[in-house]
Amino acid sequence: MGSQFVDFNADGHVDYLSATFDGSPHISYGSKGGFNEPVRLKDAQGQRILISSYWDYDERAHLKTDRALSKGNAPAERCISALAFDWDGDGDNDLLLGSYEKGHLYRQMNEGTNKEPKFTGKNLAVMAGKQPFALPAKMTTPRLVDWDGDGDMDLVAGSFGDSFGQSSVGGGVYLSRNNGAKGKPAFGKLETLIAPSAKGMTAPTRPDAGLYPEVVDYDGDGDLDLVVGGYSLWTPKGRELNAKEKAKVTALRAQLAALTGRRSKLLRKISAEVTEATVGLDPKSKEWRAKVKPIRAKYRPVEEERLAVSKQLKALVPGPQRRSFVWLYERL
Amino acid sequence: MPRETIPDGSFYMRVATLQSLTLALAGCVVLFSPRGVAQTDVETTIRFAPPKRIMAGDVFLGENRLYPSPAMHDVNGDGRADIVIGDLFGKVTVAPHTGKPMSYGAEEEVKDREGEQLKFHNW
Repeated sequence: MGSQFVDFNADGHVDYLSATFDGSPHISYGSKGGFNEPVRLKDAQGQRILISSYWDYDERAHLKTDRALSKGNAPAERCISALAFDWDGDGDNDLLLGSYEKGHLYRQMNEGTNKEPKFTGKNLAVMAGKQPFALPAKMTTPRLVDWDGDGDMDLVAGSFGDSFGQSSVGGGVYLSRNNGAKGKPAFGKLETLIAPSAKGMTAPTRPDAGLYPEVVDYDGDGDLDLVVGGYSLWTPKGRELNAKEKAKVTALRAQLAALTGRRSKLLRKISAEVTEATVGLDPKSKEWRAKVKPIRAKYRPVEEERLAVSKQLKALVPGPQRRSFVWLYERL
Repeated sequence: MPRETIPDGSFYMRVATLQSLTLALAGCVVLFSPRGVAQTDVETTIRFAPPKRIMAGDVFLGENRLYPSPAMHDVNGDGRADIVIGDLFGKVTVAPHTGKPMSYGAEEEVKDREGEQLKFHNW
């Protein structure tokens, strides 16, 4: 989820606008007593605002709809970021909606006011130069900031990259300058602020994937720095092993592979047993849980054995690490 | 060595070869850039110092959160921007500014007006 603090409904209190992986923007309205419970933003027709993919809480499934895009058969894109932005300069907040999968940015116009918004329910593509705005390798969140000090809002956005692989390309941070005028923003081609990580380090040296940027004069020196959340992926350099230790590593790796295979088979077996044992039962019922518990209990001993071997192996050969932090990139 | 002292023009050959190699290499970079690398056309002179992990009290800010997302905002109304961290679960915490430059305290839950942890809906 990205975060924007903005007086969305113009009541004099700062609100908290966000969007999550359920595919829709949510807002926590501020008040004298603090933030209220977040609610989902809706369009003028009373429907939840989205791009195309969304999590349906009733169906408990990811579904897709074409209703918010002008062309039918819309690609599956999930809105995981939202920003309030007066696109057309008419004094009310329109919405920018960021797509996870394609890194696209859409705008949805507000034909009402801030106090009584009427979002159209239709998304229009935001362009970057002559092409639709499209961040490479999936977008985390865009931010609005006057990067170049020319009085209008530019876009800074982060990308995910591969959030798991230790050697594939990671995420970066990009700038798209607004070269337009008030009420007619025109965003330019992407400039790379933080190049995508090549990964492969032996220590955490930077956010490698899932880069969520914030733009702020962090150190108070008059220029804009980046505060970036994200995952670092690294593999510590191990010590030199003697012959006996090397042999043990070989044996442990074989043992681990066998146990991992055994675990996979067991998981398939457990899944089949659960299905068979719970036919006709409500997954929320006590009966369902009573049937499932002893079946799932078979998993723990195998997994514990596997983890014990893995621990022995890691003591000799450090394994790949993946951990999230928040980093400061101080502007030079 | 002055250029004009090379009678066979080998200096110019070297320059031309170097230029060709550079162009070829640039072409390869464009053609074989790994997936996900931005094909940005705009040169930038913006530079940053090597990144440093931000601390929240005695621990790293956002450590082990699921996709931590920072935003600067004065949550406690003391006139200084705190660092708010949202995550994939929709949970929100804040590292309050301590009053010292670039110094933040341990992360705390952001509460709503009912005193419950502020949490955005997610699947």
